Amino acid sequence: MTAQYTREDTKDLFARLQATGDQSYREALARLHLPLVEYLAKRFKDRGEPLDDLIQVGSVGLLKAIDRFDLDRGVEFSTYATPTIVGELKRYFRDKGWAIRVPRRLQELSLRLNKIIAQLTQDLGRSPTIEEIAKMAGVTQDEVLEALESGQAYSTTSLDAPAGDDEDAPMRMDRIGEEDLRLDNLEYFASLAPLIEQLPEREKMILGLRFFRGKTQSQIAEEVGISQMHVSRLLARILDFLRQGMEGTAEY
Amino acid sequence: MNDQTVTIKVPPIAAHLAVLRTAVGGIAARDRFTLDQVDDLRMAVEEAATQLLRHSGGSPIVMDVTPTDSGLEVRLSADVPGDVRIIDESSFSWMILRALADDLSVESLQTRTTVVLGKKRLAMARDAE
Repeated sequence: MTAQYTREDTKDLFARLQATGDQSYREALARLHLPLVEYLAKRFKDRGEPLDDLIQVGSVGLLKAIDRFDLDRGVEFSTYATPTIVGELKRYFRDKGWAIRVPRRLQELSLRLNKIIAQLTQDLGRSPTIEEIAKMAGVTQDEVLEALESGQAYSTTSLDAPAGDDEDAPMRMDRIGEEDLRLDNLEYFASLAPLIEQLPEREKMILGLRFFRGKTQSQIAEEVGISQMHVSRLLARILDFLRQGMEGTAEY
Repeated sequence: MNDQTVTIKVPPIAAHLAVLRTAVGGIAARDRFTLDQVDDLRMAVEEAATQLLRHSGGSPIVMDVTPTDSGLEVRLSADVPGDVRIIDESSFSWMILRALADDLSVESLQTRTTVVLGKKRLAMARDAE
């Protein structure tokens, strides 16, 4: 029953699903759009994950799209579903980046340290020492350092999604206001200009704040509205990208 | 350098630069540097070591980390054959290192090139002792 469906069938199935809530229509819609999932999953097949797994992950995105789709919007379902499916696939690689390289206890410690670092920075009015962080977290300095290193490891795994626990935090670009964010000084380095152009706006801004304005990581974290550890990861990644770029092999 | 100096020598392989980065982070953390400073040092060591690696003709890279009255001195060196001046003052690396370290110099003695990074402890962190 899969191949014969048309767009009209899709509309018809959605109308029935929304009228009756009968789950068999949901399943029929999922089967009908499996080729879309397969098509999108194939775009991620060069990243070392079995295609079957990717199709499974994409199917989760498809089901989410089916559940959220509103027939009255007048858009084609495939148009609506594509970003949801791709989003699910990207999330999978992002989570996988953590899961492969970083043990769970370190992930958890990392997230906990984020909060502690933010609190200490506020209380002390400066960046805390590793000793102060360890004391407040009730762990050893080595564990703190290990958690910080694990953040660095993660930063190199995911190249197309911004890394981080707090990436969904609102970007506080507005707070920077009309301040000139162009990196005039960098134009001096002609070979770098095209590379910097490839960086997302936020990364450009962080690069400029750290290396031209001389702001500390804590100050940048406050200004941009992300954690210090996230700033650290982004900076390491940006520098790595620029270094590779000068060798001609970079892709951000 | 003095009797407190920690010395690490690694082969000129990119994967080993992480060893230098991790080591300097551990030393700085124990010397009561702040998180920002620890990260700065790690990044600076990676940048300097990468430049040395790129120009060293297969010679090992040596890192000496020495505690001083005001902070830490990190010396990274390698044999750089030929008349190459790595990290000159107009380079992007110089600018990066200048922002990450409090003191920066590059010494050349025959083929031996040494990048010297100085990082000062925050007065606040020392007073908190």
